[in-house]
Amino acid sequence: MTKTKIGLLAATALTLAAPALAEFAPSRPVEFVVASGAGGGTDNFARTIQAVLTRDEIVERPIVVLNKGGGSGAEAFLYARQNKGDPHKLIFGTNNVYLLPHVAKLAYTTEDLQPVAALALDEFLVWVKADSPYENVMDLVNAAKEAPGTIPFGGSQSKDTDETLVALIEQTTGADFKYVPFNGGGEVGVQLAGGHVAANVNNPNENAGQWQAGAIRPLCVFAPQRMAESEPISGDMGWHDIPTCTEQGLEIESYQMPRTVWLPAGTDPEVLAYYEAALQKVSESQDWKDYLTKTSQSASFLTGEELAKFIETSEANAVKVFEAEGWTAQ
Amino acid sequence: MANFDLLMHGFGIAITPMHLMLMVGGVLMGLIVGVLPGLGAPNGVSLLIPLTFALDPTSAIILLSSMYWGALFGGSTTSILFNIPGEPSSVATTFDGYPMARSGQSTRALTLAFMSAGFGALLGVIVITLLAGWASQFALKFGAPEYFAVYFLAFAAFIGMGSAAPMKTMVSLAAGLLLASVGMDSVTGSIRLTFGFEDLLGGISFLVVVIGLFGIGELLSTVQEGLRFRGVASKIDLRDVLKTIAELPRYWATYIRSGLIGIWMGITPGGPTAASFMSYGIARSSSRKGAAFGTGRPEGIVAPETADHSAGSCAMLPMLALGVPSSATAAVMMGGLMIWGLTPGPMLFATQPDFVWGLIASMYVSNLIGVVLVLATVPMFAALLRIPFTIIGPMIVAICFVGAYTVSNATFDLWVVLVFGLVGYLFSRLDYPLAPLVLAMVLGHKAENAFHQSMVLSDGSLSIFFANPLVSSIMVLGIALLVLPKLVAFGSRFRRQVPVE
Amino acid sequence: MTVKVFHAELGTAIATGLLGLAGVFGALELGRGWTESGPEAGYFPFYVGLILLGASLWNLIAAFLKHREAAGIEAEEPFLDRDRARRLGIFIAALLAFVIVTLTMGIYVGSILYITWSAWRQGGYRLPVALGVGAGFALSLYLIFEAIFKIPLLKGPIEPLLGIY
Repeated sequence: MTKTKIGLLAATALTLAAPALAEFAPSRPVEFVVASGAGGGTDNFARTIQAVLTRDEIVERPIVVLNKGGGSGAEAFLYARQNKGDPHKLIFGTNNVYLLPHVAKLAYTTEDLQPVAALALDEFLVWVKADSPYENVMDLVNAAKEAPGTIPFGGSQSKDTDETLVALIEQTTGADFKYVPFNGGGEVGVQLAGGHVAANVNNPNENAGQWQAGAIRPLCVFAPQRMAESEPISGDMGWHDIPTCTEQGLEIESYQMPRTVWLPAGTDPEVLAYYEAALQKVSESQDWKDYLTKTSQSASFLTGEELAKFIETSEANAVKVFEAEGWTAQ
Repeated sequence: MANFDLLMHGFGIAITPMHLMLMVGGVLMGLIVGVLPGLGAPNGVSLLIPLTFALDPTSAIILLSSMYWGALFGGSTTSILFNIPGEPSSVATTFDGYPMARSGQSTRALTLAFMSAGFGALLGVIVITLLAGWASQFALKFGAPEYFAVYFLAFAAFIGMGSAAPMKTMVSLAAGLLLASVGMDSVTGSIRLTFGFEDLLGGISFLVVVIGLFGIGELLSTVQEGLRFRGVASKIDLRDVLKTIAELPRYWATYIRSGLIGIWMGITPGGPTAASFMSYGIARSSSRKGAAFGTGRPEGIVAPETADHSAGSCAMLPMLALGVPSSATAAVMMGGLMIWGLTPGPMLFATQPDFVWGLIASMYVSNLIGVVLVLATVPMFAALLRIPFTIIGPMIVAICFVGAYTVSNATFDLWVVLVFGLVGYLFSRLDYPLAPLVLAMVLGHKAENAFHQSMVLSDGSLSIFFANPLVSSIMVLGIALLVLPKLVAFGSRFRRQVPVE
Repeated sequence: MTVKVFHAELGTAIATGLLGLAGVFGALELGRGWTESGPEAGYFPFYVGLILLGASLWNLIAAFLKHREAAGIEAEEPFLDRDRARRLGIFIAALLAFVIVTLTMGIYVGSILYITWSAWRQGGYRLPVALGVGAGFALSLYLIFEAIFKIPLLKGPIEPLLGIY
């Protein structure tokens, strides 16, 4: 930039007496740091956004995706802390950003990251094998009450969203399951289809294939209202035909996992505003809507106050479960 | 022969000028990422995913899978020429491939590897074509105890018969297991053995360790002998390639056995890396010249390469039919599938026949393209060895470090490469075997997880490993492989003491 | 100066033993017991660490026995004679310098300097030729990784001045 140009800009800024909001735009390639390995749900989330931002030229600099899935994603969040104030790094995660520090001793806190937006909510359902005797979720719960600690309940990872939900079911109903952690949702889905576990709490797209084939079936969804209308998936059943868990008498009104985007802490407010606007455009694009339908996630675009409130509630609810289970790290 | 008609239909979809171009392009790009250590097929494929949004799903999967085949081929090249495995699954190829190349037969070694790889891939695709339905039912039978039994079998097959000092093998194995347990343990959710170092949180990357142990370690061994490569290839001749192809039928038994191992490991969760190790181990113990393995035996190249590729292609089956990827690359492709709006699962074959059979047909074609392209590059790669060491040596060093850095963009990994380079040099000078360490790093944590899950299921009772015919027979096979060689050795010693009448 | 095989064996056994010891202590923090739901997190690392420690001790003793046996009969096999030690020493020193330069200045500067130095001082090429080789290599790294595959490599303070991020 030449001196005259700078002078001109300064002059313009003065004459317009622009509000302190100097426009921010990335001046170098933007890094998308993904808190999961390649191919995981968070990875697909980030790469879809990358594709929309690049194709519609919302962000004019190249975008590179880095996978840092080590330590259940902690690697990515530590990376954010090491790059404090860097406006060219966005971190992609779920609720693990603010829940991990509660269950593991880690060298970062939620204050090291600045929430930018939540773009989708992934639903949780209770699934059983197609030929299992349980017709609704209370059958399963009652069976676990009668024979405590014998019914194997599969889930992905330990002390993560799945086990937290199973613990929440146990705390709400007094049932006692035998939780078996596996390495990912796909694996748990097949363990259920093969009859090696009795139930799981997979997200819709992790189990859709097996449901379509009639190997497994859903009992209920942990949401305040039923999922959106869809084409029939299995027989004449679509996502909307699955009852909510409260309808069936299991008093857990809502359990959803947000797909979230963060910045390292310490960036200027303009930076936050820039990315909020960019992500807003993504959330309104047709590609994004297609992605949500294809992966059966619910649309939910949250920023600012709303997002902060969402995180606060979600965190408080989870911590209650952690404390009751004795998982909290000192 | 409904499947045959479907396959022919698939060929109709796969063989179009556009798709053939994608295959050639994919294979070439795969060769590049395969040759560069660290930058493997999973990275390559995930980088292409955003590009595929503009394609229809069938074209997209053809591009991605072609890249995968290319990477599998490319991975063997550096294993053989420089003792640096370009892909984790080509580690076992270094054991005999590199010694053969060093004795001046690099063309033969490369040709053997590529032809075996192509043959393995072909076997794998045939199985997918004929047995798709049956195979995915078989894969469903595998729960945690069966997973553990498979890993146990892989260890047993490989460790059962080694020539190194037993306590040195033990050190190598135990060190590998210990290194594999660093980082987050997914079953208990606790962070282990990081001693407060943030860099260790993600664990110690197996790929980075391999780059150090083999790549830098080998360079150190070369340097101590003088600044030149040992036994550089004499001359490259197309006749060498043809002569090697002519000797292939001699190894038919190794081909069939390795192909079967690969198919099994590809369908079940073992994956290509376990397949290649297991196949190498079994080839060694069933060969009459087993003791000569590691000095450049052709079977030592044929076995891991055939198994690696048949497993690689069979790994597509559980990914498509069950939604379970049995290799890292398959995991990335499955992510792509979901983004394209396809749901992997048993119904995919019925609801998306064009996609599935187009892919299967393309696997025949693109592996053929792969073999031809990679054979065409043999002279080029072999010529690399004639560049003076003082130039190519530092370039290999730089590529090793670049490759290690790209694994997870961590500067810490540069130190890991350096340290394991020294370890690799020391170990090979002092006759500590490196293979058990590598195998333990690949499978150690998976085996522990499967064991732990089994224990949760059985409330801590070991009887779960003999609870049904499937798991029992795998366990018994594993124990037999572990114990039999010792018994045979003991028996032959006993026999020798009996005076001959 | 020559290093004997005996010394190398001792050093390696001690190093692997220390690794085992570290495993044992690290595992103790996690609990090494067997609960009703199977092993605790530290169970495997603890016993694997013990095995590593035991095997290392065995190798240590074996090295001593072999040393005692060999002593007096014949001169022990050297691990590294002076010539090899010098060559290896220079190579390792260059490696170390390469890593340090890479960490501070980025991988492009690191590999240009390293390859140029090696071709010039060890290969006997003229400096301009060597520099050309180094720069050509760095350029192809840039083209393959950053331009084609969009993978960012480690950069130092110089690249941003040239407009490369």
